[in-house]
Amino acid sequence: MISKAPSRMALAATSAASVLFFIALWEAVCRAGLVDPIFLPPPSAALGKAAAMLGDGTFWPHILASARRVMIGFLAATAVAIPLGIFLGTSSFARAVFDPILSFLRPLPSMSWIPLSLLWFGITETQKYSIVFMGCFAPAMVYVIEATRNVDPLLVRAAQNLGANRWQVMKEVILPGSLSQILSGFKVILGLAWTCVIAAELVAAREGLGFLIMNGKEFFQTEVVVLGMVLISTTVLITDFVFRHIENWVLRWKQ
Amino acid sequence: MNEQHKRSMISVQGIAKHYGDFKALERVDLEIEKGEFVVLLGASGCGKSTLLNLVTGFDKPTAGRIVVNGREVNKVDPHCGMVFQQYALFPWLTVIDNVAFGLKMKGIAKAERLQVARRFIEMVGLKGFEDKYPNALSGGMRQRVSIARVLANDPDVILLDEPFAALDAMTRQVLQDELLQIYEKSKKTIIFITHSIDEALLLSTRMLIMSARPGRVVTDIRNDLPMPRNAQVQLSPRYNELKGQIWDTVQSEVMRSLQATSH
Repeated sequence: MISKAPSRMALAATSAASVLFFIALWEAVCRAGLVDPIFLPPPSAALGKAAAMLGDGTFWPHILASARRVMIGFLAATAVAIPLGIFLGTSSFARAVFDPILSFLRPLPSMSWIPLSLLWFGITETQKYSIVFMGCFAPAMVYVIEATRNVDPLLVRAAQNLGANRWQVMKEVILPGSLSQILSGFKVILGLAWTCVIAAELVAAREGLGFLIMNGKEFFQTEVVVLGMVLISTTVLITDFVFRHIENWVLRWKQ
Repeated sequence: MNEQHKRSMISVQGIAKHYGDFKALERVDLEIEKGEFVVLLGASGCGKSTLLNLVTGFDKPTAGRIVVNGREVNKVDPHCGMVFQQYALFPWLTVIDNVAFGLKMKGIAKAERLQVARRFIEMVGLKGFEDKYPNALSGGMRQRVSIARVLANDPDVILLDEPFAALDAMTRQVLQDELLQIYEKSKKTIIFITHSIDEALLLSTRMLIMSARPGRVVTDIRNDLPMPRNAQVQLSPRYNELKGQIWDTVQSEVMRSLQATSH
């Protein structure tokens, strides 16, 4: 007998059951004393910690601090990368000027900027933004330049034929024509931005999710570490979800 | 004498276009008057599209000059509106914004350009589709948008590069009729590329047959068939006479190019 493809509801229910089963198994293993709670606390302990932090008002500031750093660094990097990338994508001369610099910046992991940024800015918010910015900027440039080169040249011709000048071609054809590819690249970069901010906070910070797990480790509060990790994952998933909705709205002509 | 003084809409003077050793066009001279509907006819590779790309300014000639409405062509010029075979509509813009694109580039205020766009959308029979995206339209409708987009820009000349080649036979016939009506209403000068003899006879006031290696104009025929070119005209003896005459030229050209390639 050929079974019918399961409905979306059924699949969602299966996923939910899988999550619940995994958490229950984890809890059971801890309760049974199979692992030392210092190494792996039960989920209930992490949940209890979350409730306590919500109670004394220390829960949201960490999430908001990290999210703010990600957003500012990411938006600054993309705000520079989009116009500059489109300019480089359409001018072979400008590419010749900037390509060597980009090629040098691109292989540098954002973490390698931490020592310099600490020297320049100290343990400040600016230092966090700069780490996120440096982690996102070069890859964002690469995505934008690549995307502009994939715009159908026929559309550029059509626009010129309708009277568009060089600047109008960039603004009215290259930008919208490459936006779809730019946004799918930026989704990857947004994930990168989170990696950058957590790394920066692990090294030196006074608040934020990276600070939370580092601090938890210092005081052997493993439930704080686990809670921090769960919060990082959840926050990234939520930002990704929001980003995808923005993307769908911007690219609504594709449907 | 009068003929001499009448200024041509398009004047092609001693044009050559070479790509390395390949002579895409050689010694092409043409005078096209205002209001003519010229069809360029020829097998593929005879330089029809090359000639059009020179008139629009997309390409620069190796030798010679082209003058459109008194101005020498030396860059892409919106005075020659182009309708592409692949439509070239901006997929991220709605029908009305596509049609209003050229006016936007000229800096015309939004309310005014949308009003003009609406008029031309209605002219090509797409009223009610203003807010649709090109993805939601059929090929025939897309080509109508593309024609409206060029008309809204009010160019001196409209160039069409095999505009109906990708459409099914029924849609093609409908669009040919519509293009003729637009031509009669707007009195624009039109250059239309095709390799269909029937399409040439149906649309043109004048037919230029081109030949390859090197690309040049070999025959210049005035199409004196009466308008409208309905089914009756297509069954008339004159129609068949013209068709036979064109076919003889085209056939010998095709045979010649086949022999050339087999060597």
